[in-house]
Amino acid sequence: MTIIQFQPFASLVEPAFWHALTNLKIDVLKLADDHVPLTATYTSGRTIVDRETGKEIALGCNLTLAGDAFSETPHIPPYAVPAHGIVKNYNTIEEFKAADKTALFNEFSDELWKSIQDGSTDKLTRFLLITFADLKKYKYFYWFAFPAFVAKPAWEIDGEWQSASQVLGDKTLVSVRTSIHSNLPPFFLVRTDGSEPKVAPVADFVKFFDGVPAEHRTIAFVDPSAQPSNPGWPLRNLLAFLAHRHPSLVADGVRVLCWRDDKVPHDGHWKSRFGVVKGVANVQGTGEKPSAVGWEKNVQGKLGPRLADLAPMMDPVRLADQAV
Amino acid sequence: MHAFQQQFWAVRDYLSPVLKESKFKEHGRINPEEFVAAGDFLAYKFPVWTWEKADTGKMRDFLPADKQYLMTRGVPCLRRANALAYTDADEDAERMISFGELSSTGKEEDEWVETHAGRPVASDSATELGVIDDIPDVDDQLSHAMADTSLSAKGGEPADIPDIDEIPDMEEEDLEDEDDAAVAAPKVISPVVGVIDGSEVEVAKGNLLQVRTYDVLISYDKYYQTPRLWLIGYDENRTPLTPSQIFQDISVEHAKKTVTIEPFPHSNSLQAASVHPCRHAEVMKKVIERMNTSVIEEQHAKKKSSGTASPKDRQPKKPFFRRASGNNVKESLEEDVEGMRVDFYLVVFLKFIASIVPTIEVDSTTAF
Repeated sequence: MTIIQFQPFASLVEPAFWHALTNLKIDVLKLADDHVPLTATYTSGRTIVDRETGKEIALGCNLTLAGDAFSETPHIPPYAVPAHGIVKNYNTIEEFKAADKTALFNEFSDELWKSIQDGSTDKLTRFLLITFADLKKYKYFYWFAFPAFVAKPAWEIDGEWQSASQVLGDKTLVSVRTSIHSNLPPFFLVRTDGSEPKVAPVADFVKFFDGVPAEHRTIAFVDPSAQPSNPGWPLRNLLAFLAHRHPSLVADGVRVLCWRDDKVPHDGHWKSRFGVVKGVANVQGTGEKPSAVGWEKNVQGKLGPRLADLAPMMDPVRLADQAV
Repeated sequence: MHAFQQQFWAVRDYLSPVLKESKFKEHGRINPEEFVAAGDFLAYKFPVWTWEKADTGKMRDFLPADKQYLMTRGVPCLRRANALAYTDADEDAERMISFGELSSTGKEEDEWVETHAGRPVASDSATELGVIDDIPDVDDQLSHAMADTSLSAKGGEPADIPDIDEIPDMEEEDLEDEDDAAVAAPKVISPVVGVIDGSEVEVAKGNLLQVRTYDVLISYDKYYQTPRLWLIGYDENRTPLTPSQIFQDISVEHAKKTVTIEPFPHSNSLQAASVHPCRHAEVMKKVIERMNTSVIEEQHAKKKSSGTASPKDRQPKKPFFRRASGNNVKESLEEDVEGMRVDFYLVVFLKFIASIVPTIEVDSTTAF
């Protein structure tokens, strides 16, 4: 049994988002610093084959904020799933520094825990973003948090993460892809007892898995990680959800499918991973909120804010210098 | 029989206005309808490409409102193009690359020469990261100013990291008291399975692979009547790239001449690096001519054999070059072979762009 190490989300903010935030601040928020809801997206983990070394290289476990993040109906790119969050923009750098981040985070994770108790998986992947925009200098300070509940003792994997196609078979994966392809759900259930595998939302857990033998019950999620032995961040809260809602399942071992294939691979090389995850359903009954973690580290690998400096791309003076 | 012919003329008449401006084979340019057709095909064949809407007030009325430009996100870029400086000694590193489904015939005309294949990374000082030479054809004063900019823009030095002084001093290690063993270490060593982290590949002494990503946009340039490519880049820490950093990913011949930072036409605020389209039509014309010849030859060959072959064989193997009137048997027999279809224009365009940005994997077609 090995402790599972989850691949944390890495925020990727498109410059268009900073422009949207600027407009929002100037035109709508002005000096208000209320929470504003917004939507980010993540895709299943991607890899690329390096042409020079022939090695397959994992790309980042990214959560992307695009220019239409504030829209009520944001455009979700192909093969992506939405993740909702809130942004709190501070008016001064001092306020940004002095903000009580622990309180903010706790408030936010309380809400998340409540949604788990309510039996909903809609809010499992949430993010909190605090920002300070230095509009004149085109500089944006920001800090993401992706709250995840800590399991004690930690989640363990029975054996190793394996190739999903080896365990479940290519036919099952093709069929699963067909079911979820047109409307990709972040989390879903797979049942393999019949001739054709079936897929259902996690909310239907009890009904869908009623009478289905344990070896045919699989819980799947769109996995933004591309690392072979590290499932992505969304699995943490999914497991916390299962531990709370379906504790008996967790004690026996959860069959987890890390969904990483946005298309049927032409060479038969499926990227999805499979593993049996075990943990102690220690939260059962008590309903007490486990501790949560998830502040993003900065470029130096420390817990601290990041800086997006758009001046080189935006500053008219510097652009004039660059123009040929 | 006459009635049938009349019917046929009516259909042909109905179809012709759409095609009348189609001159892409003569001069390499396309009209907006063809841009939409080629874009539809690209987005259909390679769903990572999607049509996007323009910002308010930035819509061009000659394009459909929901098809203003094409975009794909997170295109990986493993190495810097200026680390691929081309020398004569590398001539033999040329490699024929096949043209996806096109090369099903195995004919050589269908293949392209890829010049920078499998070459070791050049490590001479001239290719130092981030150094942009003086720009030719500018008066002295300006080129001095340019040289200053590129220095202050601090390319690949540790200064990539934004000025540390500027980041508010607010490291808060006590924010999370949990010692979280369940977080994957930044560099995961996993020798067992094939997939590895980019930071495990050493590209040159002491330099690890830095995987950048790009958002790539294609707009339609009304003046040049060609597609136009735009790039927004992020470094391995997902920090937006500066112009001089973006130039590191553009082949040396083009970085100094044809790529500039300009406002993106469909956005109110966005600036992006753009490949200037002034030579696109010329290059596209040559590329299309070359491809067209082989396509026509093949279609002729197929036509000759179609008299005897079973109907199944007459089905075009390649959806790219299906005759527009393929479902009208009579018409397809009478008319001349059509050659390359305009739908394929953007796929070809991306292959051409790949030579300008050799390390940015814009040409998703090879992955199929």
